[in-house]
Amino acid sequence: MSDFARRLPVYLLLDVSGSMAGDPIEAVKHGVRALISELRGDPQALETAYLSVITFNSSARQVSPLTELMLFQEPQLHAGGATSLGAALHLLTECIQREVRKSTETQKGDWKPLVFILTDGAPTDDWRGAAAELKATKPANIIACAAGSGADTTVLKEITECVLLMNNLSAGDLSQFFAWVSSSVKLSSKSLDSKPGANIELPPPPQGFVIVP
Amino acid sequence: MNKIGEAILASGKRLKYVITDNPPRGGMKYTYFAPDKSYVIQFFNDPSKVDFNTRSRIEAIIGKYNPTLPESRGGSLGNDDKLAAYFEKRFCWPTDIVVSPEFGLVSPAYPSNFFFDSSASQLLDLKGKDKKSNWFTSKNRKYLNKSELGDFRSMLQMSLLLSRSIRRLHQAGLAHSDLSNNNVLIDPKSGNCVVIDIDSLVVPGLYPPEVAGTRGYIAPEVLATMELPRTDPRRKIPGSTTDLHALAVLIYEYLFLRHPLIGPKIFSTVSAEEDDFLGLGPQALFIENPDDTSNRPSNLKVTVKDLGPEMEKLFMRAFVDGLHNPALRPSAMEWERGIVHAWDLLHKCSNPDCSSKWFVLHDVNNPVCPFCGTKIADKEIVRLTLNSEVRGHKGQWRRLSELDAVNNTPLFKWHTHSNIFPDEKADLTMQAYICRHNNEWFLINSHAEGLLSPQGNPVPQGQAIRLTDGTVFRASRDDRGTLINVKIISV
Repeated sequence: MSDFARRLPVYLLLDVSGSMAGDPIEAVKHGVRALISELRGDPQALETAYLSVITFNSSARQVSPLTELMLFQEPQLHAGGATSLGAALHLLTECIQREVRKSTETQKGDWKPLVFILTDGAPTDDWRGAAAELKATKPANIIACAAGSGADTTVLKEITECVLLMNNLSAGDLSQFFAWVSSSVKLSSKSLDSKPGANIELPPPPQGFVIVP
Repeated sequence: MNKIGEAILASGKRLKYVITDNPPRGGMKYTYFAPDKSYVIQFFNDPSKVDFNTRSRIEAIIGKYNPTLPESRGGSLGNDDKLAAYFEKRFCWPTDIVVSPEFGLVSPAYPSNFFFDSSASQLLDLKGKDKKSNWFTSKNRKYLNKSELGDFRSMLQMSLLLSRSIRRLHQAGLAHSDLSNNNVLIDPKSGNCVVIDIDSLVVPGLYPPEVAGTRGYIAPEVLATMELPRTDPRRKIPGSTTDLHALAVLIYEYLFLRHPLIGPKIFSTVSAEEDDFLGLGPQALFIENPDDTSNRPSNLKVTVKDLGPEMEKLFMRAFVDGLHNPALRPSAMEWERGIVHAWDLLHKCSNPDCSSKWFVLHDVNNPVCPFCGTKIADKEIVRLTLNSEVRGHKGQWRRLSELDAVNNTPLFKWHTHSNIFPDEKADLTMQAYICRHNNEWFLINSHAEGLLSPQGNPVPQGQAIRLTDGTVFRASRDDRGTLINVKIISV
């Protein structure tokens, strides 16, 4: 199974702007750590999921390239600066272009990537172009999570249909978010059940999270 | 931090369970554990889909179709205590229905050998994780300690136990309908397996469950037609013939540690999803298909041929003739038979570092382990051919199977009688055994009644027959007693 197994690329786009400083960024670090450990304990996720982390504040940076779970190194995260969501979306498109294997005559393509965006504020750069492009070309299944009342859900809705809202930036909520991401990745790596074009299945969001209609 | 919930069962009994965030979740249900982990409570992901049909199906599963419960306690017809106890180890069968807080099920927890302990891996923290088969049959294998991996013989044993369990379901008219690497837990170390997620069984006469199945195990015809409405007659739904596809996939994975259909062939360049759909569905192609090698990996070393002609034929029927023609797939009982016959030809590899440790010696002219290429160390192969008398044609014998013997190889009733099969009811008393003494081979009668010498004289218990190349004798004078030919082949 190993040689011809497809990969499920998973991108985490994490907001590390100034407002995340302190407890929230610690909770995010903890969440990423918990996510890795959860996914490494699931045989299907371990076999298929590949993980990358893109962070954004005044600029966007891919702090972890797409890596198999066993080799994944936890990224160093520091909070500070603005919220360049647009730059992050551009970088995401670029990374998908570069890292995700396309189906060709000679190569088994990867599964459509799963992207989780976590942000607590409104973007401070020009994001419209990048958002529109993502929504139009749909290179990935994107799930956006607005953390706390400061986050702008209307912006996220421009990127994807699937937007979640969590109450606040508490450690509890953030840890629930990462636990939910891990359930989503596990479920996706299991139920890649070959219905071309079908919607992906996600577990119900954690208690207190609402789906933004 | 965890809350304790209380479930009220259909029987009125109350059971506590620990409510966790993000409980383990399958395609249909999610699971909470008992405070002491001795049982699990499962609820449906979508309670709105639990209707009258679901309830009556699950009642039938827990009651009159239950092979893990003796008939005297409401289990399946003809089931005695011994059989019930046997199948209790082979299935994680639900025991009760939860009525409050909502509809759900109670099942026993899996036995502890199906959970990893802290010594399972140096690289991963697997303590307490259940042993889904793809820990052992995918590249994940390399993260486990060698002591977890079992060997070819333990994998063959699990294949036999699984075939037997599925045969038991099918014999009662049931079908699992979602057999997969997730729903069969395996413990290669001890050679045991247990079938779980019993609630989506197809029950005769009742409305079938809505199961999607699991990628890699869904039968091609089910996948190919799954977009059609449920009422469309062309739509194929899971049942016993689709179980037989999944069973063959699992056996193939256990024995070869790879998937039988996932190979290098590109079916579509449009998307991974379409490629996958075609390659596991309408255009599925066995990686070892002898006529179309376009899906064959370049590095195939051990193949179905290495298991001997009988197993090879079964795999060809499952993945060539029957891949797109469900009626041609081997039944679970045929797998049982084939595996038992392969078992009798197992040899221990003489290479102490061989990871498979055992192999099927089907070709006496080439007694080499296919996994590591090492020739057997024995100087001789003692091969007994078991024959059964053709009914109504006295004196006419038909070859049944073969058994390779070394010192202390036992013979059981299924060797001495052609009408006895090593199933869950089998008598495990050794009838006779092979013994090497002063460079000669003997068959010693330990418990056999009616063993005859080559001259046709009774051989009482405690007495022996000397075996030389060409020896022929009756293992039992009973009507269905076998006739055994002995070949001693120098290596």
